[in-house]
Amino acid sequence: MNVYLLQVVNGVGVGMLYFLLAVGLSIIFGLLRFVNFAHGAFYLLGAYFCYQAVAWGLNFWLALLLVPLVVALLAWLAERTLLRRVYDRPHEFHILITVGVALVLQEVVILIWGPLGDNVATPAALQGVVMWGGFIYPKYRLFVIAFTAVFALLLWWLLEGTRLGSAVRAGSESAEMVSLLGINVFRVFGLVFALGAGTAALAGALAAPIRGVDPFMGLEALGVAFVIVVVGGMGSFSGALVGGLLIGIVQSVMSTLWPEGARLMIYVAMAAVLLLRPHGLLGRG
Amino acid sequence: MNASRRAYPLANLFANPGWWLALAVVLILPLTLNSGTLATEVLVYALAVLGCNLLLGYTGLLSFGQGIFFGMGSYTLGILMTRAGLGLPLSVLLALVAGALTAALVGWFAIRQRGTYFVMLTLAFAQMFYFLAYSLPDWTGGDNGLLNIPRPPLSLFGMTLMPLDSPWRFYTLVAVCFLVVFWLLQRVTASVFGRTLLAIRENETRASAVGYDTRRFKLAAFALSGAVTGLAGAFHALMTGIAPLSNIEYHTSEMILVMTVIGGTGNLFASVLGAAFYVLMSDWLSTLWPRWLLLLGLLLIGVSLFMHKGLWGLLQRGWTALRRGRAAAAAPEGAPEGER
Repeated sequence: MNVYLLQVVNGVGVGMLYFLLAVGLSIIFGLLRFVNFAHGAFYLLGAYFCYQAVAWGLNFWLALLLVPLVVALLAWLAERTLLRRVYDRPHEFHILITVGVALVLQEVVILIWGPLGDNVATPAALQGVVMWGGFIYPKYRLFVIAFTAVFALLLWWLLEGTRLGSAVRAGSESAEMVSLLGINVFRVFGLVFALGAGTAALAGALAAPIRGVDPFMGLEALGVAFVIVVVGGMGSFSGALVGGLLIGIVQSVMSTLWPEGARLMIYVAMAAVLLLRPHGLLGRG
Repeated sequence: MNASRRAYPLANLFANPGWWLALAVVLILPLTLNSGTLATEVLVYALAVLGCNLLLGYTGLLSFGQGIFFGMGSYTLGILMTRAGLGLPLSVLLALVAGALTAALVGWFAIRQRGTYFVMLTLAFAQMFYFLAYSLPDWTGGDNGLLNIPRPPLSLFGMTLMPLDSPWRFYTLVAVCFLVVFWLLQRVTASVFGRTLLAIRENETRASAVGYDTRRFKLAAFALSGAVTGLAGAFHALMTGIAPLSNIEYHTSEMILVMTVIGGTGNLFASVLGAAFYVLMSDWLSTLWPRWLLLLGLLLIGVSLFMHKGLWGLLQRGWTALRRGRAAAAAPEGAPEGER
């Protein structure tokens, strides 16, 4: 029983990272109706920037603050110069251009850091484990759960409690109407895109000490993020949270029951959810 | 009718030049390439791209799961030939059927959704089948793939028709099948069924309001696409002698889709162009620079910004410009020639 409890806690940790990864994709889709296949590449950049920062001897905490900002800035530039031009095209061009951006970023990562992965040291303050009676758990993973929970609250406040947030939510309903009301939707698009990429980068930076870095982690993350968005419901903040946690827990618990099939079960869970609720758990259909 | 005529002026110049152009490609490849395997690869991917185009260009369904059917074809052929000891024609046929059935299954789930949701679903299914293949090493060989797939001489009912031991002999078989499939697809897309698919692409709500059961049509398009893609996968396994895990990977789906869009959608010959361009370019670039995917990425960005109709659209524009130029030269002071 203890093993399963441990795996559930593990799953919550993985799930919170998955939530961070997916929430940006979901918001970007909700507002822009734009499928961002470069989302995994921003996660990849986050992880590698964190790796580089630690390798330079930079403080991990500072890296955690700076990395998402740098990636968000890059994403904002990409949105302004490239992606914006295809918004009015059929969605195969959204996909084509973001697949192109993802390929370029992935290959640049390989050019700079090589095709092989590496490990990232856990920050000194968070090494070791926590013990409560029979319950033993790595400190860093507990930190990830707490940190992402606080960040999720902040993000929720940003979307629900600020003017930007209300513009985003209204824009998801009708971008045309919002722009008629005098809000510069294009500026909001840019900001939201940067915000989404930044959260993906944060997920990458947080995941780096757990799973290490490798050039193909972005692709893997993209698949998982899509599953979460499909399971949770598109454009929904709470959907990303529920979907992320569900998928994280399924993966962790299955990894003790059937290690080879743990990744497969994510997708089986997705198919099951879709059969019961075609628009996702919290999606509006 | 008028809209489609305006969309494909070149296609209406001759009755339907697509098949003749495809035949020309089949004949030109052996004359220009030294490697029979490379030429075969062009046709194998052309088949897969035709399948993808049927969905994207004719039905408006952007499927990120074409690798599933490609991989299914490879695995089915590999299993049947190495484990069950079935003959080549029957194995290829069953691989085609397996592709169609898998596509019908994936399609049944995926077409419950439209637009971008649909795209994400097909991608998620691509990942699912990849991990399925990975978790069943007894069937698929897991990470190593299925090895040592033989290529016996082609025989029917005990009669040996043709040895397939050299790459060019195998090319001949693939070329014949490719031309047959191309011809069939041309018939299908010109039929009432094909026209209905186009109607669904243009406006699904209206097509279903007129009374078409759009779900059934989409499902049929999926199965047909899966059959063609499964056939391509089977030929790929025969060509390389292995059915690797990478055939069912996300990367294969992405590659097929990229070829389709680079060639141009909604025209069958455009798919052959896209496949030939991609296969030959990647063959050439990958020997020059291991990071050639970077260039591919830049190319994709360029295509989506500046070349919306793909290579085929580019050729069409060139052709129209040429005709205008000639018409202007023939009648310099006359009224400008009409489009039709």
